[in-house]
Amino acid sequence: MKQVQSAIAHAGVSLADRKGVLGTLMLAPALAYIAALVAVPFFLAIGLSVSDATVGDPAIHHFVGLRNFVRVIHESAFHFGLRNSMIVTFATLILILVLATAESELLARDFRGKRLVQILLILPWAMPVSLAAVGWLWLLDSEFSPVDWLLRTAHLLGPGTLFGPANHLYYYGREWVGIGAIIAINVWRLLPFATIIVLAGRTSIPRDIFEQAEIDGAGFFRTLFHITLPALLPILTVAAMFTALLVFGDMTIAALTTRGGPGYTTQLLPYWAYLKGIEGGALSEGAAIALFLFPVLLVGAILALRFAYRTESA
Amino acid sequence: MNRFLSQCIAGVFTLVLSVAAMAAGTTTGIQPAPLHFPSKFGSMKFPAKFPAGTTLTLTQWSHFVPRYDKWFDQYAQEWGKKNGVKVTVQHISLGDIVPTLAASIAAKRGPTMFETIATPAAFIEGLQNLADVNKAAQQVFGKQEEVCTSQSYLPITKTWYGYCDGWVPDPGDYRVSLWKAAGYPNGPVTYDGLYNGGVKIFQKTGLPVGVGMSPEIDSEFYARSLIWSYGGSLFDKCGNVALDSPQVVKAVEFQTKLYKSAETPEVFSWNPASNNQAFVSGQTSYIQNSISFYRTAQQFQPKNAEDTGFSPGLKGPTGDVHQTAHVWFIYVLPKYVTNPNEIMAAKKFLLDLTANYSWATYESELYNFPAFPKTAPQLWERGGWLDHDPWGSVPANKLEVLRNASKWTAWLGYPGDSSPAVSEVYNTHLLSTMMAEAARGDKTPAQAVKDTAAQIGAIVAKWRAKGYVGCPAK
Repeated sequence: MKQVQSAIAHAGVSLADRKGVLGTLMLAPALAYIAALVAVPFFLAIGLSVSDATVGDPAIHHFVGLRNFVRVIHESAFHFGLRNSMIVTFATLILILVLATAESELLARDFRGKRLVQILLILPWAMPVSLAAVGWLWLLDSEFSPVDWLLRTAHLLGPGTLFGPANHLYYYGREWVGIGAIIAINVWRLLPFATIIVLAGRTSIPRDIFEQAEIDGAGFFRTLFHITLPALLPILTVAAMFTALLVFGDMTIAALTTRGGPGYTTQLLPYWAYLKGIEGGALSEGAAIALFLFPVLLVGAILALRFAYRTESA
Repeated sequence: MNRFLSQCIAGVFTLVLSVAAMAAGTTTGIQPAPLHFPSKFGSMKFPAKFPAGTTLTLTQWSHFVPRYDKWFDQYAQEWGKKNGVKVTVQHISLGDIVPTLAASIAAKRGPTMFETIATPAAFIEGLQNLADVNKAAQQVFGKQEEVCTSQSYLPITKTWYGYCDGWVPDPGDYRVSLWKAAGYPNGPVTYDGLYNGGVKIFQKTGLPVGVGMSPEIDSEFYARSLIWSYGGSLFDKCGNVALDSPQVVKAVEFQTKLYKSAETPEVFSWNPASNNQAFVSGQTSYIQNSISFYRTAQQFQPKNAEDTGFSPGLKGPTGDVHQTAHVWFIYVLPKYVTNPNEIMAAKKFLLDLTANYSWATYESELYNFPAFPKTAPQLWERGGWLDHDPWGSVPANKLEVLRNASKWTAWLGYPGDSSPAVSEVYNTHLLSTMMAEAARGDKTPAQAVKDTAAQIGAIVAKWRAKGYVGCPAK
């Protein structure tokens, strides 16, 4: 009996003591997940991008070097896609950081109706992207937009008005209004997530620091810029990184709203990659377009993480 | 005994469908032919019953006319019972067909057949050659409409990569009262008429012309129709690029002029349903579209439906009329399907569907036109469905204009066939983008045409290198 107990104890102690093995075992599911759903598709995409694969024959038979990359970068859709992906990502990022900070400041305080505000602010995050896009399609419809109706009612739209003379703004039919609409939808759907992240950071700042600042006579903005934001910097970096990754790789909003038009002026790289590779049948060129995203995302993620670690350790 | 039994089943099924159709509020009159399921089609013979365990899975788009899907599902089950095949039909949205087919080919598994709505030439390497079933169909049903053949056969490789059982005309659709008041009681007949009348209506009522320049199918069809009717073309008969021509530049100049005088920026961001929506809600004077929007209007906006007129494609300056077909019904059989019984069942299903196509035309409310005209004589005959619409048009012969639709209908790749290059050009929306770039003033019409021709040239060269573009060697 003693021998058995000793063996069990030995086995238990041995496993607990061998941190390397235990750690590897616990990490294994996550590593398997990353390998299957990230690494394999990624290397497959690299293989496809240097091949002549099509949707009808997706096997990688022939190596064609960088031909697909050379071909796609000469297309104006690619130029617009790259430009717009950058603009949409950065604009969304800046707006989200400002608004998430503002919202977290609001939610860090106690006020009547706070629960309701919390629910309302979180709602867009809970809504499926497709449903949200349909709502936005209607909201900014070329004929039946309630926003247009409100502007007309306020005599801001129509003949002889500030935004006139047309009775509609045709949001998705104009280049910069269309890009603005894509940015607005991105901000609307990602803001709750960013707010939650920033709020977690905001509530972890010790209250006595704010109390001390108040006693010292610091106003709202001085407190914000000298205490809150420096303390939030690591968490804001994480929020920025998540937002950038989600926006830069998203094609659904463009697909459901402007469809890349007018012309290619609101085209985004992920949507162009889909159109070219799947709808158009040129799978290898679609993969090449999609891979252009990778270096940008990789460099962005590395810089953001290094910055976050440095700020935190400082 | 078997033959008697099959006739009984077919008779009962026909009766049930007829009663159902009448109960649904249709007019009485000429009915589709009784269902029949022969076991021999020309050179192809099929067993009376397939071996136990034979299955057939179809993935197809949710039809614009909902009645058709209800009928089709019922028909497929009845066909399955008759032939001893377990049939499953999945209806998915129009936009999901191509990605689902791509995913299935990549995974080497999926449904037995897909139904695509335009040429599936881009998938040619992953599709089985359906030469036998196409040959058998032509032996039994006669010559196939060229608008269909051109979307399912590639002469240079001698491959039938699909089987087209039907197509849909794309007439001009005009608001009768508006065009009558503008001096065009029968709607515009020429592109000049579209411009002159459209401008007059826009200035008087604020209602624009509704031809799109957005990355979507209707805008792509319109751009092609305009170019062809102006005597231009994207490709020649052998699939070489022919876009950069004075005729095409003239067509683009016309569209730029039309946009500036009679359209609004909304046409740059339309989706395939937008022009329907604008027309049904009375927000536009003219669109080019199939009749499905009209069937919707008959139910929900009957006054607008009555005020809708149909016209053939518009004449260009040289008198040419070419309108792109709106939809094709093309089944494809991917190479990953290897079970011989399943393959034979699929082919039998295609031929039986064609044999009974008068039902498809009828239950689609005359949306589906047969690839083989002989299979739905009720549509064409004097006093038939086009003269007396069984689905309640006022006047009853409102759709009569579609009788000669095949004469003014062209196809993607016209005047040649549809190669993978044609498919890629269509699916990446190069023409609607070209029109938009010129109309918005981003480029001159000549520059927009030149740039687009260069883009198409690169696509054609790529597919030519793979052996899919060119004329067959004589």
